[in-house]
Amino acid sequence: MNGILGFAELLVDGLYGTLPAKALEVLERIQKDGKHLLGLINDVLDISKIEAGQLTLALDNYSMQGIVETVVASTGSLARAKGIEVKATVSPDLPVGYGDERRLTQVLLNIVGNAIKFTDTGSVEIRANARDGHFTIAVQDTGPGIPTEDQARIFEEFQQVDNSITRQKGGTGLGLSIARRLINVHGGHIDLESTPGVGSTFNIVLPLRATDQRQAA
Amino acid sequence: MSKRILVIEDTENNRRILNDLLTNAGFEVIEAVDGEKGVAMAAEQRPDLILMDIQLPIVDGYEATRRIKANPDLRHIPIIAVTSYALSGDDAKAFAAGCDGYFAKPFSPRVILAKVREFLT
Repeated sequence: MNGILGFAELLVDGLYGTLPAKALEVLERIQKDGKHLLGLINDVLDISKIEAGQLTLALDNYSMQGIVETVVASTGSLARAKGIEVKATVSPDLPVGYGDERRLTQVLLNIVGNAIKFTDTGSVEIRANARDGHFTIAVQDTGPGIPTEDQARIFEEFQQVDNSITRQKGGTGLGLSIARRLINVHGGHIDLESTPGVGSTFNIVLPLRATDQRQAA
Repeated sequence: MSKRILVIEDTENNRRILNDLLTNAGFEVIEAVDGEKGVAMAAEQRPDLILMDIQLPIVDGYEATRRIKANPDLRHIPIIAVTSYALSGDDAKAFAAGCDGYFAKPFSPRVILAKVREFLT
């Protein structure tokens, strides 16, 4: 993968000479597919590691507000390109969390990224609060919603509501499964409320202080 | 005089990418294909910066970094580690071994070049 993406970038940057516009356009397609394949490889590696009980959480103090800010910043260009507003309401004075910041960011990035991908008009709202020793994070969108009969299986591997979605919206069909497992390893859980035609809300309940729950994953 | 960069990397494609990238940007590039040769070349050629792959034959990148950083004549040379697939904790191990920077593969040549320039200007 490093060879494919690395040489493609050098070609685009003109290191090997100026390329005709047509060649550049084709190169961009190679880069796009290469990045998709990379995403798939990383997701499959994540799933394998979790299943083999080899995923070690790097537990440390983190700021939930910091995670939300990172996710809002990283999804900003996608949201702007679609004309969607991403709002974040973080309760002031949230306690410091203890868990794997990189993995928790990955989870929230996946869920907020999905919400933006599937919402064509309206907004995506992230709400972060704390109660009873847990963070509660809600990600609410004004997308098409998920039919009741599909709500359980979207957390399973390679299950998207409609397989044609993979081609339309991208993604590997593994993101939500990884998100649920990562939240489970932290001792938390994730669920979904959705009304077709109105929107979806993903709710995460996460212990403020995580302990490695690998066996439970 | 152009700055000299030592690339310690066993994969031919990755050596080629880094060599083309850095040569084009005006640096002098020297190469080693395993950790042992890399440490020897660092001592002989005194590069201004080292790009260190971690999964290397004979002596891995962590050990090669420790050996270079243990040599008082070489320890000032910045070492940027480049690792395969971002396994949790690789970055911490690289910094513990004495690396001054860290990238996970696949790396973006643009990002590597920006980092190299940060260290060398």
